[in-house]
Amino acid sequence: MIVAYYPGCSLEGVAREYDRSARLVCERLGFGLQEVPDWNCCGATAAHSLDHELTRGLSARNLATVGRMNLATVTTPCPGCSIRLKGAAMEAKKEGGAPEVMHLLQLLTEAAGTEKIASSVIKPLGGLRLAAYYGCLVTRPRAVARFDDPEQPRSMDRLLQALGAETVDWSHKAECCGGAFAASETSIVVDLGGQVLEAAHQAGAEALAVACPMCQVNIDTRQREVESTRGVRYDLPVFYFTQLMGLAYGFTHRAMGLKRLLVNPLPLLKRKGIL
Amino acid sequence: MDTDFYTPMRLDEVESPLQDEVEKALGIDIETCMECGKCSGGCSNAHIFDFTPRKVVQLIRLGAEETLLTMDALWVCLSCQLCVDRCPSGIDIPRIMDYLREKALREGYRPSRPAVVLFYELMCSCVERRGRVSEAPLMLRFNVLTGQYLKDLTLGIRMFLKGKLPLTAGKVKKMDEVRTLFVSWHRRSVKRG
Repeated sequence: MIVAYYPGCSLEGVAREYDRSARLVCERLGFGLQEVPDWNCCGATAAHSLDHELTRGLSARNLATVGRMNLATVTTPCPGCSIRLKGAAMEAKKEGGAPEVMHLLQLLTEAAGTEKIASSVIKPLGGLRLAAYYGCLVTRPRAVARFDDPEQPRSMDRLLQALGAETVDWSHKAECCGGAFAASETSIVVDLGGQVLEAAHQAGAEALAVACPMCQVNIDTRQREVESTRGVRYDLPVFYFTQLMGLAYGFTHRAMGLKRLLVNPLPLLKRKGIL
Repeated sequence: MDTDFYTPMRLDEVESPLQDEVEKALGIDIETCMECGKCSGGCSNAHIFDFTPRKVVQLIRLGAEETLLTMDALWVCLSCQLCVDRCPSGIDIPRIMDYLREKALREGYRPSRPAVVLFYELMCSCVERRGRVSEAPLMLRFNVLTGQYLKDLTLGIRMFLKGKLPLTAGKVKKMDEVRTLFVSWHRRSVKRG
């Protein structure tokens, strides 16, 4: 299946390991990703907070470019980009056709399915206890996302279980990490990210799995600050779900860019006999 | 006075030009709010909001425009979309917040959190120049312009060494298509402001 691929800005910067692992995993599952040519930034929280027309225009340009690729589906690993693009597609559908927009987690769990995901596993992630963390925009707003449950999502849990890992039941699956405030109001990210970490820790998770560059950056890079604020040591690695898929599919930790994570995941993986 | 206190205020008897404006511009019918408070119950940042989402909706009903355009909640709302998903009437509060933010800036109200607005503006100007956002230069510009030269220095270095903050990023080729969008945005802001 050939799918248009919209990486988004973070995937060229802080989340390059998400991009690399996503491409490799998709290839393994038989998805041919074709990058949307000359794509632009969706404007993220910045644009929609300042001007509604601007944010619409930015996503409309991307959607029009996808339209010229003559592909039925476009996928993006970033929930922010995906919700903007889905919004644009909803408007375009009113005036004719538009390609189907799917977040990468949605593409893999709906178009491939857990059985297919499981059948490619070479090295099961046995014994790894994970908290699947979806954050806000993978499933919300539900009228636009049209994927999974907005508050009790399960798709990533099932995917991780198909890789042989365990997932914990916990309270903060779809709570916000502080989103765009990492630089401008850091205390909000330390507060909300801290709540997410505490909940995952309480539930007995050994690591988190995420599907969003903002979630990864906020929970991973601010973890030390959270720990010193709360006086608790969490030491919870924050993986992109695609990195975990890659490990289970036999890719090396180098190919999955695991050393790029700030909370070092290698000791945990060695302890579990995964590396 | 005591009897007045216990007489419920009839919001449907209050004139609110802002409520009409929201209905006309966004197609959102505030009248369907039944004040159940699920929006505020779910809001991740309600504990630091000066006005919770439920109050924001009621303030629109009251026509309390100045209060809404100067409130701190505007600039610490996360746009996490929980309130709209929990609202039994489907009132799109995040869209209302966007509308109020836009209106507040257009009408020249000083935001209570200038750093938040500055960050948004710097990010947009990045898109205006290159079509995409490059995180490292954005962070540097933000820290310089807010005078926080040492903010996140150690973290920044750690991230840089991990290759998380590349100094160069992709650029859009057909920049004229992107710039057109920004030109009309600036024209809109000037015309209204």
